[in-house]
Amino acid sequence: MTITLEANDIRKKFGGLQVLKGLSFRIEGPELVGLIGPNGAGKTTLTNVLDGAIKPDSGIVRLNGQRIDPLAPYEVARAGLGRTFQVTRAFRRMSVLENLYVPAMAMGRARSPRDCHDQAMEILEFLTIDHLRNEYGRALSGGQQKLLELGRLLVLNPDVYILDEPFAGVHPTLMATIYKWIQRVNGQGKAIILISHQMESIFTLCSRLLVLNYGDLIADGVPSVVKNDPAVIEAYLGHDEDMSGTGMVSLKEDSHA
Amino acid sequence: MIRSLPNALGALGVAFLLGFPLLYAGGNYDYVMHLWITAFFYAILASSWALLAGYGGQFSFGHMAFMALGAYSAGLLDNYVVLSSHATGTCTEIGLFGSWLVLVDPTGVSTSAVNCLQQARGVWPEGVTTSRLPLLLSILIGAGVGGGFGWLIGTLVLRLRAAYLALFTVGFSEILRAAISAEVWLTRGQAGLPMSPIFPEGVTIFGTFYASNAKLPVYYVMLGLFLLTLVILISLARSRIGLFLRALREDEDAAEALGVDTVKYKRTVFVVTAMIAATAGVVQGHYVGIITPNTLILLQMALVIAMAVIGGLENVVAAAVGAIIISFGLEFLRNDFIIFGERVDMSTWRLVFFGLLLMLTLRFLRNGVIHGGLLWLERRAVGAETVAKRRATPKSGTEEAK
Amino acid sequence: MEHSLFFWSVMGWMVVWGAIGGTVTRHAYFMRDLDVTDARRVGVAVGAATGPFGLIPLYFKTPKLTRLWKVAPWFGVLGLFVLAFALSDPGNVCVSSGSFLTSQIANGLIMGTIYGLMALGLALIFSIIGIVSFSHGEFYMIGGMVVYYVTAVLLPGWNPLLAVLMACALTFCVGALFERAFLTPIYDGRVERPIEYSILVTFGLAFFLQYLVQGLGGANPVKADAFIELPRWRWPADGSVIVTSRANITLFDTIFVSTPRLMAAVVSILALAALIWFLFRTWWGKALRAVAQDRQAAAVTGIDPRIMNMLAFGLGCMLAGLAGAVLVQAFSWLPQTGTIPALRSFVIIVLGGLGSLPGAFVGGILMGMIEAAGAGCIPDPTRAASYLPAYGMVVLTLVLLLKPTGLFGRKA
Repeated sequence: MTITLEANDIRKKFGGLQVLKGLSFRIEGPELVGLIGPNGAGKTTLTNVLDGAIKPDSGIVRLNGQRIDPLAPYEVARAGLGRTFQVTRAFRRMSVLENLYVPAMAMGRARSPRDCHDQAMEILEFLTIDHLRNEYGRALSGGQQKLLELGRLLVLNPDVYILDEPFAGVHPTLMATIYKWIQRVNGQGKAIILISHQMESIFTLCSRLLVLNYGDLIADGVPSVVKNDPAVIEAYLGHDEDMSGTGMVSLKEDSHA
Repeated sequence: MIRSLPNALGALGVAFLLGFPLLYAGGNYDYVMHLWITAFFYAILASSWALLAGYGGQFSFGHMAFMALGAYSAGLLDNYVVLSSHATGTCTEIGLFGSWLVLVDPTGVSTSAVNCLQQARGVWPEGVTTSRLPLLLSILIGAGVGGGFGWLIGTLVLRLRAAYLALFTVGFSEILRAAISAEVWLTRGQAGLPMSPIFPEGVTIFGTFYASNAKLPVYYVMLGLFLLTLVILISLARSRIGLFLRALREDEDAAEALGVDTVKYKRTVFVVTAMIAATAGVVQGHYVGIITPNTLILLQMALVIAMAVIGGLENVVAAAVGAIIISFGLEFLRNDFIIFGERVDMSTWRLVFFGLLLMLTLRFLRNGVIHGGLLWLERRAVGAETVAKRRATPKSGTEEAK
Repeated sequence: MEHSLFFWSVMGWMVVWGAIGGTVTRHAYFMRDLDVTDARRVGVAVGAATGPFGLIPLYFKTPKLTRLWKVAPWFGVLGLFVLAFALSDPGNVCVSSGSFLTSQIANGLIMGTIYGLMALGLALIFSIIGIVSFSHGEFYMIGGMVVYYVTAVLLPGWNPLLAVLMACALTFCVGALFERAFLTPIYDGRVERPIEYSILVTFGLAFFLQYLVQGLGGANPVKADAFIELPRWRWPADGSVIVTSRANITLFDTIFVSTPRLMAAVVSILALAALIWFLFRTWWGKALRAVAQDRQAAAVTGIDPRIMNMLAFGLGCMLAGLAGAVLVQAFSWLPQTGTIPALRSFVIIVLGGLGSLPGAFVGGILMGMIEAAGAGCIPDPTRAASYLPAYGMVVLTLVLLLKPTGLFGRKA
């Protein structure tokens, strides 16, 4: 069975401001999709809508054919959609291992820590933070906390992963681990939506880009095409974003994976 | 060795408590027993509040209200519901397997009014017996009422953040106090609702008869309830529910995104702790013999909070031990003394002292005194083990990562 | 109450149609892809006020929810409530006596001003530091105690306003010192959960202060003399416009106001004017407002936020102390006096929107009116007085259910 995430005409208003103006897209199987757009484009709101934290005013979200937009976030997580947060949200006063036990036990895959200890240790070793297993979450550095969040997602083992700014403030050596993590998940046939301002990573990793601007989906396609799209260039340049810094212009045509 | 110290101390403590009333030979037997019973009562409240606030992160100020709900439910049953072997003919009554469940009409604080049961007694033949509902049943009902309100409050405050939750529960507690004080016809208001002893006819344990006012049976009832509470709380804290509670305390959104049904677990912890508080209220009410709305003043809640905080909010056993120590401490600080010719009213000044102690503990010993001490021991143990390991293996550090 | 069944049936009708209206209207707006932000609330109000008669057109027409739509139905709800009450209890003094009603309204306004002043302190603290102080009631109590001890024991015969100033100074200093000693860890992340810490530590302060005052002054109720005693005076000669006696003022033969309360309200209004002058005209006040709006931006411009926190907490406590200082002449005073005013202030700031200063003041006036209505109109007077804290809680519950941001709250 292929993994599918379909969003159909998602609209959301906050007060008088239309944050999402009827978004539709479909993501399938082992796809790695980049979701980009200037600040305030609606990326985080879209994530919250997909995750169930915010109910859309209208529109339908389906995961593997099951309608998930009316569900609570925990039900969405159990249905197979996992996310990270823009600001790291490690459980600060729980040990690293306990952080990983939470999804395992919430999903009912383990009745006690003993059942999921081996899996948790395997994941911590993969993420190279196994030596910190008994430390509190708050004792970890910002980058290590990001890794811990990714580790929790591996335990959750959803079908679709949404990563909100996984590279922000991460040390280059840990960056390699995140790349490795993405390859592992993608290799399992899972879909990943990657939200990032670091264009280099986006262009290296993603096979498809969704570009949001003021709640509209202004482009959807392979990165090499998207970055020459006049609407996209306008969206970025029109808001004084430094294109050379983001790598939008300087990247070579054939750079995507 | 240091690591097992707390467990050894705990086992010793339980053994001591179980044997104490049989072995104690000092003076003032009843008074000392009374102190222990009160200490257990506060320990039950403080440890269950520690689970709610320390584990669940739900800083509710309504814990004494749940206690009072339990006590008043039992008190109302005790006063207005009677099992009789003969129909009264004057009261509302339901026939039950040859006896009657009689609902007595409340007469408030008026001394002249005669209720329907008293009327019936005047015309009854000899040999009619009446009794209250069995204690266990009234405990169940009290716990049920407490749990029901716990569910209601838990549901109402689900979406509220910390400050709102605290405000709302303070308000709930004040309303309950206002209602109990105002509905004199039912609750007898400030005069208080009298309650029968735990064992109204006395009780025989291993061939020894104890009268209804004897302390020893009550001691074991309260101790049993206390130990049962600890077992329930510890197993909850160590179970997946404890893990989820801590996760949602740390970050509700993240816990939810990882598949934790936060609404369900928040409600669960509200209901369970409310039921525990209500049960403690039923037993304490029967023991003291009267229940008044003054058990609901914020001072009482403040005492429970101070006990839990000073003991250690994030460890139910530490909170219970803190409650026992403070409960005794408050009693020993009760004696007035005279300084510079002025009589110092210690019944007030000891509370000033505890307010200050609460603030200072919060400010400087964030884990509480007892839980903080345990953590310190644990760190020492871990430190010692690491040193020992380092000595055992010539190669350092790098090996351990594997 | 004569026809209580009628009254409660109307209440039941309102609740049921309010619930239906909320669900149905939101659904209607949702289905038609319209703005649903206010749909549920408007639906509740229209349902409760008019039942199916308003809901059906609302459901089919789904008009744009203008300000009129958001406000007018609530007056309908209020009107229906008052009408049901008047019809079911025609003998009630609230319904039959216009004089009583106007006096209650005047008293509600007077008390509301003082409530507003006290709640303003709490809102000020919240807007700057972001915490709710659980010791607010104790500062109120201390304010009153200081005035009593200064006027009755230490310096009898001095101007009571001097005592009020001393109360203000003391509560300000205690508040500011407490902030320095106990609240500093919440700013720099030294405590894991600053909100919970602040709740517990201010609660501890409340406990400490309450028993400190009891230890120093005893647990018996005290009562200060009225600040001024009015001369007997009437104008014109038949007293049809104004009559004063020692403790009361009568206006137009209909409105009765107690002098101590009126004095308290006058002082409150003066204090309020001073506060507004301070906040809008002085550098310190402007700096405070700047910190409330944007902490970081204010820090960049050279305002030391630490001093501002201290100032805000001190000022907030001072306002509570002031409210107590002016009311001690109207009520008898106990160390436990602060609990209910504290609770009332909480309700007011939630009603007005946490942290909104104008909201706190308007909320205070509203609260004064609600309490005057509750205390005056509920048939059994002793019961009405006992349930005083409950009126606020009913309001709080309704606000939390219907509009958690409060009446004047900014959207989070």
